[in-house]
Order: sequence, then C-alpha cells, then structure tokens
Amino acid sequence: MLLAIDTSAGTSVAVVDLTQGVIAERGVADTMRHAEVVGRLIQECLTEARIPVSALSGVVGGMGPGPFTGLRVGIAAARVFALGIGRPLVPVVSHDAIAYGHYRTGHTGPLLVVTDARRREVYWSAYSGADAQHLPVRLGAPSLAKPADLLEADFVHAGLPRLDAATISAGDLGMVAELAYAAGRPFAADEALYLRSPDVTVSKNGPKRVS
Amino acid sequence: MTWQLRRATAADVDAIMALETSIFENDAWSTEMMARDVADPGCYYLVAFPPDSPDHIVAYAGLQAAQRSPESDIQTIAVAEEARGRGLGRVLMLSLITEARKRGARETFLEVRADNPGAQHLYRSLGFEDLGVRRGYYQPDNVDAIVMRLPIPPAEMQFTDAAAPPAAEPIPAASAAPARPLNRANPLVLGIETSCDETGIGIVRGTTLLSNTIASSMDEHARYGGVVPEVAARAHLEEMVPAIHAAVAEAGIRLDEIDAIAVTSGPGLAGALMVGVGAAKALAVALDVPIYAVNHLVGHVGADLLRGEGVTTDAPLEYPTIALLVSGGHTSLLLVRDLVSDVELLGETIDDAAGEAFDKVARVLGLPYPGGPQIDRVAATGSPTAIRFPRGLSHQKDVAKHRYDFSFSGLKTSVARWVEQKGDAGETVPIDDVAASFREAVVDVLLTKAVAACTDLGVPRLLLGGGVIANARLRQVAQERTDAAGIALRIPPLSLCTDNGAMIAALGAQLIMAGHEPSTLDFGADSTLPVSQIQA
Repeated sequence: MLLAIDTSAGTSVAVVDLTQGVIAERGVADTMRHAEVVGRLIQECLTEARIPVSALSGVVGGMGPGPFTGLRVGIAAARVFALGIGRPLVPVVSHDAIAYGHYRTGHTGPLLVVTDARRREVYWSAYSGADAQHLPVRLGAPSLAKPADLLEADFVHAGLPRLDAATISAGDLGMVAELAYAAGRPFAADEALYLRSPDVTVSKNGPKRVS
Repeated sequence: MTWQLRRATAADVDAIMALETSIFENDAWSTEMMARDVADPGCYYLVAFPPDSPDHIVAYAGLQAAQRSPESDIQTIAVAEEARGRGLGRVLMLSLITEARKRGARETFLEVRADNPGAQHLYRSLGFEDLGVRRGYYQPDNVDAIVMRLPIPPAEMQFTDAAAPPAAEPIPAASAAPARPLNRANPLVLGIETSCDETGIGIVRGTTLLSNTIASSMDEHARYGGVVPEVAARAHLEEMVPAIHAAVAEAGIRLDEIDAIAVTSGPGLAGALMVGVGAAKALAVALDVPIYAVNHLVGHVGADLLRGEGVTTDAPLEYPTIALLVSGGHTSLLLVRDLVSDVELLGETIDDAAGEAFDKVARVLGLPYPGGPQIDRVAATGSPTAIRFPRGLSHQKDVAKHRYDFSFSGLKTSVARWVEQKGDAGETVPIDDVAASFREAVVDVLLTKAVAACTDLGVPRLLLGGGVIANARLRQVAQERTDAAGIALRIPPLSLCTDNGAMIAALGAQLIMAGHEPSTLDFGADSTLPVSQIQA
C-alpha cells in the first residue's frame, strides 16, 4: 500500500494498493494553495483508507515536470513523510500518471501529454502506448517548449493525439508506482523536474552607477 | 555542544594538518597530499567548528567521489579529543554519504585500522559491511586494515523486502489508536526554518538545545551578489532530508520520540517558506504529532531562551524587553511584553534591510558576497569618522512619523556616489575608511533608535538577534551605549542569532509549555506575517 502525493499542477493525494486499486483520493485543483492543503489532504486520505501509516510500504512523489514553487511542496512532503515513517520514497514522473489514466479509460496507441509550464510555455511528454502491464511507454524525457513549437510540422512528435491536462491524479500516480514495482521496472530519478534554470543572471558589469 | 559544518578550503589545510598530525601520529598524510585532496573537485572535504569560532576546526572528513562514478571512497575522518563522544563523527559520515549519493555513487568504501573497534562500530552502525582485510596496511605500526563497503541505494529506490507491499488484510482504523497526550512540561520539539537561504533544523527539549543543524545555500548566491529566491528554495528541497537526518543524529533521539513539530510560516521568501511548511505538515501527519506554525521574527527572540553549551547566562529573559532584529531580510524593533502572547512591532526598515545594505556596499567596493564579514574585515584599518555618511530617518522631520523605523537605501546610494566621485576624479578610494564609516553609520542609527525605544518606553532591557549581530562593531557599540544608558543587554550565541531551526523549535516549545493549542493543518506560507501574530 502506498501514499501518493503530486503538486505538479494542483494538489492531489491518494492511498493506493496493487490489488485494491485506489483506496482513497483527495484533490484541490487550485494551483496556488499547495502548502495550505497538502497536510490536510494527506490526513484525510489516511483516515478514509482506515490505515495506520505503518501499513504503507512507501511514499510516491510526483517529480513533475511542474512549475517550481508548487512542485517543491509535494516533493518535500513526500520525501519527509517517507523519512518520518521509515519507508522509501518512490519517485514517479507526473506525466506518466496522466498517460496511465488516459490509457486506463480507453485510449490506445501514441499520445502527447501537455501541461502548463506558465510563462507562456508548456511541458510535454510523448508516449507510444501502454504495455502489457498497462504502464505507459514514454518516448524520452519530459520536455519544455513554446506552445507554437508543438504545432510545427517538423515537431518530432507532430500529429500525435494530444491530451492537454490541467490536473494530475495521485491515484493514477500511485498505481503507476504499484504496477512498475510489480513488473520489476525502475522508478524515476529522485530529482525535481523543473526543466528550467532559476531565472537569474550574473551581472558582468559590476554595480550600476548612481550618479 | 553544537557544531557547524562547511566545505573545507585551502585556508583550512593548516588547521586540518594540525589535527591530522596529532591524531595519526605515525601515518599522517603530508600537507601536500591534504592540500591536493581539499582542492580537488572530485573530492569533498568538510570541517566542523563551534558556531562561534569558525576558525577553530575540531574535526574534518573527506570523500573522494567523481561525478557520476558509481564508486566512492571515504578518504579520512578525524575528530579532536575535545569533540569526541557526541555524535560528530556520525554527522560527518552522514554528510559524506549524502554527498556521495548526490554525485551518483552507488557504493562507498573505506579502510579502518583493525585496532580501532570504536570506529568500526560507528561504520557498521551506518550500514557498512566488512569486505576484507589488508595485512599490514598501516605502516610503520604494521596494523591490518579492515576494508568496508556501504551500498548506497540508487536514486531510483527499490522497495526493500521488509517494506514490500503487505497483503490485503483488514487493518484497524488509524483513529482507533488513542492519541498520545502532548507532553506540555518538557516537550521534545523539532523546528524547521526555511524563510531565507538557510535550511535550519533544530531540536530542543523544553529550553534545552539538543541540535542546531544549518545547511546554507549562501555559496550558491555568492555569484549573484545576493540571495536569489528560486536558488534558495531549490536548495531547501535538496537539503531538507539530509538536515533532518543530521539534526536527529546529533540530538541522539529517534524521530518517533518527537512530541511536536514547529515551523516558520512567515515572514520570509514565499517560495522558500513553502518548502518548510510542506515538509513540516507531512512530518507532523507521518508522526501523528501536533504542529505549531510560528513567526520567524519572534523565533529570533525565542532563541534567547535556549540553554546549552555556548550560552553564557542562566538568567531568565525578563519582560518587557525591546528586541532589535537585524539580518539580510529584516531590520525590526520589537516590544516584547510576553514571548507567546504579546509582541508589538515598534518599527522596521522602510526599504533595504541592514544586511542587504552591507551586501550592496560591499559590491560597490568590489568586495565579495556576503558583504557583512567583508566590510568588517576591511573596516578594521579604516576610520569610522573619516566620512560622515547620512543616518536614515534621523532628521527632526522624519522622527515624528518614523521614530523607530529604519532606512538604508539612501545610505547605500550616498556611499556609491561618494565612491564614484572619487573614482571620476582619478583619486584612490580609501576602501577601509569607506567601509568603517559606512558601518559606523549603520551601527549608529540601529543603536540610537534601539536605545531611544528603551528610554522612551521605560524598558531597561535590549535583546539583539539576526545574522548581522555577528558584526563585532555592532556588538561593541551596543555594549557601550546600553551600559551608558543603564540598559541590560542580551545577545544569544551567534549560532542562534543567524536563521536557524532551534529558535523555531524553542518558540514552539514555549507555546506548548504555555498551554497554547496547536495550529490547524490549514495554514500557508505568509511572506508578510505581522510580528504581532506569534502563531499562525
């Protein structure tokens, strides 16, 4: 049984299990209230699932891609919750949860997942389909682009059916982790997928004159 | 006793060698070998020092780990006699292992003398396993080396067998377990502070300081000449778990013994605060303990209540007291009638914080970041009266409206203009005089207003806090002025003046001991949390 936390868009928390599926899931779509709601959502999911934390075998963290400020809240919460209960962190790419959910509800074949990266940019990940274990097969790492770039004829995944998602389900995120574990697949790297450097430059000219 | 760790530099090699030759009498490294390793980017050497004397190296440890190489080696570790038996070796080892993991190592190796069971015990307790023996490795003593290996779980962590998903079976509801009553007499509190560029984790029991771990991202900000909020927030995320690990190890406790979590909810940098708030809430729910969201500025006052090594007075903090808090982010004058229930803001800076002014003037003078220690260093040979720089908001016309407020923006501009005029005229800029005169202007206006507050309000007590208190001239003038005015001056140890988690834990413990109810789980990060709101 896993606790899953994702704040790459809104805030979503779930308790999942390989055989029982999604046992509890709570979400707030607001993309500006991650720090406010994350604790309450975790608590409500645990209460609804009627499990003590000792029943959890790991904590799934949605590693993004996602806008920085919110993304960090969920990763910090997942890492520290895992530390608190002495269980491993299970990092999962958030886009994989979106793709998994789409395949689960009937989509087949290639898919382009697109989410808002703010500053007039988008994050995207391409998938070739779902495998025998129902896991989405991602083609390379998630990327950042101008929205217009995805519409160009020479875009590497031009013409793929596109799914614009505004929310990520921690239930789906957790199930990706359960299925990946059951299938003996590796998890994602434990690093936040910001895909952008901090917005700051080193001044080469020294301080500005004041007179 | 608490220690701080920092990355060793070439300047530390002499101090390291003094320890090396005293501890490893017969098989010490040469200075050249040590200097080469310390400077090697493929290595990572740490030194430990008491927070109040950064040049007093009490321990060091070194890792060799090339970026993305799967193997790494613990090169050396040594703790001075005076600092042994208090977990410092463990903290150093954990820090090296964390760095090895960051660099992509999957295992780390070390050799340990066969006649050193204490060290072997430490390594085994950290998960190292015996790999083999090298006969006569240590010469001329002819002592065998035991080779040990620690597997470092990869970033894509697999479940361990012990933590494999359990079979589906009915499990009693979480709410069935009776909640543990809160220990209000002497609570064990873990404090989390992330309001600026220090990831601070502190653990206190009541008023006793158990650990104060600070991971600073200051080095990463140096090339920008000031704190970059996004860089600080990213660093908080990466340092959070290692810092909690280190604080728990140093305090010698287990996480599940903690009675409550305290966290800074404001004021500070919003993105940075949110990392701490998210982490604190998750830890509180995971451990099923209450959470106290507290005010960063009041935390600085709370630091004065902590008792432990390095604290020179046992006299309790008396109320009311005036508190002057000066840092890179704040310059505030508070009237504290009661720490947990009545704190009033008398005044604050209307533009730059004092620490920010130090950074900006350092830049004007071509000195590196952070500016405070640099200005202090060059000011040593300068004259504080060489140049009369303006004292912000000190004119008669300003005092009516801004009696206890501060302004450092005009001072900074005035210094820059003075330096530019000298430069334009082709004259040499007397950097030491500029630094000393600038510093004097800052110190003068800070203490003039603080002493005025004490006198006006009939409060003969002044408490200092904030990172700028590290400035020796500020402390000296504070002592002189308060002595002359019959005001009792209190300055917490410097390690508790800079931003830290221990002060947040201390304030949390005070709230608990005073019977205050915990915060609900619904608070957020509030970058402008007013000082009158002690608990969110």
